[in-house]
Amino acid sequence: MATGFLTDTTVCIGCKACEVACKQWNQLPADGYELTGDSYDNTKQLSGTTWRHVAFIENPKKRRLTGDVDLVALAEDVTEPLPGGAELDALGRWAFMSDVCKHCVEAPCQQACPTGAIIRNEFDNVYIQPDVCNGCGYCVPACPYGVITQVPHDGRAFKCTLCYDRQRDGLEPACAKACPTNSIMFGEVEELKAIAEERVQELHDKGYSQAYVWGTPEVGGTAGIGGNHAKFILMDDPETYNLPRHPYLPQEKVKGGTIASMVAGAVLGAVVALAFRD
Amino acid sequence: MSDTTKDGVQQSNGKVETSHHPEADSRRSDKHYYGIPPIKHAHWTWQIPVYFWIGGIGAGVHLFSTMAQILGHRDAALTRASRYTVLGTMILSPILLIWDLGRPERFYNMLRILKLRSPMSTQSWSVFAFGNLSGLIAARQAAEDGLLGDDNFLVRLVKLIPARFLSLLALPIGLNVGSNTGNLISATSVPLWARNWLFMGPTFLASGLSTALSWLSLILHVTNSGQKKTLRTLHRAEKATIVIEAGLMAASLVRMNRWSKPLFSREIAPLFVGGTLLGGIAAPMALLFGKESRFRSIIASVLALAGGLAFRFAIIKGGRISADDPEAYFTFASGESAPQPEDNI
Repeated sequence: MATGFLTDTTVCIGCKACEVACKQWNQLPADGYELTGDSYDNTKQLSGTTWRHVAFIENPKKRRLTGDVDLVALAEDVTEPLPGGAELDALGRWAFMSDVCKHCVEAPCQQACPTGAIIRNEFDNVYIQPDVCNGCGYCVPACPYGVITQVPHDGRAFKCTLCYDRQRDGLEPACAKACPTNSIMFGEVEELKAIAEERVQELHDKGYSQAYVWGTPEVGGTAGIGGNHAKFILMDDPETYNLPRHPYLPQEKVKGGTIASMVAGAVLGAVVALAFRD
Repeated sequence: MSDTTKDGVQQSNGKVETSHHPEADSRRSDKHYYGIPPIKHAHWTWQIPVYFWIGGIGAGVHLFSTMAQILGHRDAALTRASRYTVLGTMILSPILLIWDLGRPERFYNMLRILKLRSPMSTQSWSVFAFGNLSGLIAARQAAEDGLLGDDNFLVRLVKLIPARFLSLLALPIGLNVGSNTGNLISATSVPLWARNWLFMGPTFLASGLSTALSWLSLILHVTNSGQKKTLRTLHRAEKATIVIEAGLMAASLVRMNRWSKPLFSREIAPLFVGGTLLGGIAAPMALLFGKESRFRSIIASVLALAGGLAFRFAIIKGGRISADDPEAYFTFASGESAPQPEDNI
């Protein structure tokens, strides 16, 4: 059985309860009190000490709020043409997205790890064994989503465990439990996929044709890493949410690089041998 | 609402502008998230580029001395310098590598498993094997040089070590130490490194051999040892290797394409253009292809060695800039099969 997340960004209200619940349950240290000025996002990014991060996207580039805007219609989520040529899109202007480790099906961090500290556990989640990790840091640049970092003063690399401890006790992860709008859903990957497809269809029927599921190999994009166990329903380009359009598995090139190196070794050996001829 | 409409600026199309103008912020019109890097750079500090340099020297020196052995060229000074050099590099390498770990006391976990897909794993095993073999070979050399005393039990035991056979055995492993460092950095999500997966290993190996030959030539020239033929061979090999290195460097830059930009940034250009391309390749090449003299050879060696070190630093620091640039990663990680918002699931 594979478990994962489905994060529906269309119902996220940006309350950051998931960030707080995650920090609290996993006893993660604070990251300081930096005011970034980037909307309401002072967390900025995922790291070894931040396993949930709510992105605040002020993104009016396609639909500008112009004309005599009817605020009542805006609040009631009306999408039909408004009087006076006004255009609005309640979901497109200010978007929130709770980012998390994607728990890739073919995880680059796990393939990079030389100690075998990063494993797939019985829930098919990507898990770092803290008692094995020796802090070489090779998983950090391997991750195509910038999820993992090495924690200073500790030395080891950390990331979302998908609340392995809570799952073992039959509980859902802390972030999903805390989410007040059910933007973060936890469950079996196949079930979540069905829920995601249904929800996207619902959004399309409502007129939000830009909604799509990000993290399934069928859609493309994540085909290089076989899809993600933590999927998202997005309303805009992946880059808007600081996600790559087409992440790939870095280890795919190891074989080719090694063969090229062998050829180079043979050529250089032959060159040295020829140099011995007077 | 009607009041603001009256005060607002009436546009030619009859629409009224509101006070909501987030597009004025230039960062927001771009396709990224407040310029925050979407991937994380490697935290590796100076120990890693220095290891890449030292490991490359060890690999190259072993390649040259083993080739001499295979071709039956006997030069005691060359053998001695090579064996002690390789031992030295293989003592320094693990120290540097363990130093850089977040938990150095757990270094032995590197040898917990063997993972062919992970260049870091194969590199650890290669350094382990090559280091131990070079230790045995150097021990035999030390016994023959009388450094272990005169004809005691230890000397008789050490002289049983089949150094020539072990040198052959260590050759492929040593070559892997020299080239695998390039594959190690290209098996990441960093555009500058990953883009050049084809030439990164070969470039590192060629650069390693170039620095190794320079080192041997420097040692033999400075100590005034080594046969005439050894020095002539070294000179010829240096010339050929530096040409190959220049070719691979050019191929790498073509391959890296637009993602090679960090190498020419204000921070890295002195190291890469000045230190590597001009100081480490062009200048030694000019000296080597000019009139042959001891002095010129020594200068060329020093320049090539410094250039090799500058190259390792330029690549590692360039990777940091590349990883921190959202534009570089997003253009790199986009392709034909990218999902579009209008795609149906």
